[in-house]
Amino acid sequence: MRILGIETSCDETSAAVAESDGRSFEVRSNVVSSQIKIHAKYGGVVPEVAARKHVEAILPVVEKALGPGGAEKIDAVAVASGPGLITSLLVGNEVAKILSWFWKKPLARINHIEAHIYANWFLNKKINFPALCLVVSGGHTELILMRGHGKHEVIGETRDDAAGECFDKTAKILGLGYPGGPAIAAVAARFKIEDLRFKIELPRPMIDTKDFDFSFSGLKTAVLYAARDLSNKYKMEEIVPAMAYEVQEAIVDVLIYKTIKAAKKYNVKTVMLAGGVSANERLRERFSGVMEKELPGVDWNVPPFEYCTDNAAMVAAAGYFHAIKKDFTPWQKLKVDPNWEL
Amino acid sequence: MKKIFKNEKETLAFAEKFAKKLRGGEVIALIGELGAGKTVFTKGLAKGLKIKERVQSPTFLLMKIYNVKKQKIKFLCHVDAYRLRGAAGLMDIGLLDWLGRADTVTVIEWADKVTELFRGGRVIKIKMELGKKEEERKVTINK
Repeated sequence: MRILGIETSCDETSAAVAESDGRSFEVRSNVVSSQIKIHAKYGGVVPEVAARKHVEAILPVVEKALGPGGAEKIDAVAVASGPGLITSLLVGNEVAKILSWFWKKPLARINHIEAHIYANWFLNKKINFPALCLVVSGGHTELILMRGHGKHEVIGETRDDAAGECFDKTAKILGLGYPGGPAIAAVAARFKIEDLRFKIELPRPMIDTKDFDFSFSGLKTAVLYAARDLSNKYKMEEIVPAMAYEVQEAIVDVLIYKTIKAAKKYNVKTVMLAGGVSANERLRERFSGVMEKELPGVDWNVPPFEYCTDNAAMVAAAGYFHAIKKDFTPWQKLKVDPNWEL
Repeated sequence: MKKIFKNEKETLAFAEKFAKKLRGGEVIALIGELGAGKTVFTKGLAKGLKIKERVQSPTFLLMKIYNVKKQKIKFLCHVDAYRLRGAAGLMDIGLLDWLGRADTVTVIEWADKVTELFRGGRVIKIKMELGKKEEERKVTINK
């Protein structure tokens, strides 16, 4: 079955075609009109909102994803209808409606967070349930228990800032570039702990609470104060690499610790990552190590890099699983829900 | 009005009380650096408006609407201009649909980035700053 996926929840305008024969997925195209690339031209300046860009980009992006003659081969359309920014969501959803009507093909309404989880299906490995997925990005940090397709439960989430947002804001405090996650990761990778002449202690917020929630705004202020205090005695060139390293460790510590705790409590067979922050090398590397040590019998999955940040291929994958159950929405009834909770 | 809050709890408590005086149609401009407490203040406002959902930071989302059941106020529109350079971005996301509506209270974090919106408007300007001690915050309110 061949699915056209459309994703316009926030900044990215994306369309993709993915196909499954019931055993494995093949991504035939994944077009992402990346905001980051556009604005890197201007020296890494904070990007402007995408709404107008979605309108300009959506048709060329869909056309490119379909390729010449591609429209006839599509069996169903899948679109992310929330959560997200309402004006962005509307662009993708209106196009999905039109295509569904025009092609007379069914339409699957997909939750954006659910779509992130399905990026793991591009590994083409068998995924055993129950599965636990940590969805972590600039806008989201959630722990989802998945008992089966379409059977999700949010068992924990951030109380304030998302982990990706924490990377971005602490990168700003440290004078590093945008996007913050890759900037911090790059600086941290060059840091050698033996070089450290001072002690930095950043908190691991909520690491000991009994729930599976997260909190990153306190870490942001801790970085602010630590940088401020240290800059009285040391130069920024010395402080920044050490702080970048420690911030990354603090974020990674909390994410791993709580996920493992949840995995044990719910006795899951699979642990997965999803979302933009799952592209972080340090998170992947350390998580993999902890999984081997603490949960050796449990499968561990991270999506291929290109499916971690917002993209439509993952929406198409999610769409496939809705389509085989004929879980469709008539285009007349398609509605966006910016606050859609899984 | 100038106030000093010793810690986050005091900020939340003040914001909760402040919310009870709102009638609808107010636009609250929250100004302050990273960590100054803008989102914390908004959480307090939300509690005062009896919003049950968790208020998370809308930095990436840009705008989030919460339902309110308080006399004439039906919505809290929570906006974050951190990722924007000017008001044009907020126009694009449909902020004008909410700004100044009689049944909506709009809170804009990093409002100083989008000052074009407030020319001649009735805006409550709330400036937040880090205090001398770590948990302390200084707040200045101009109506």
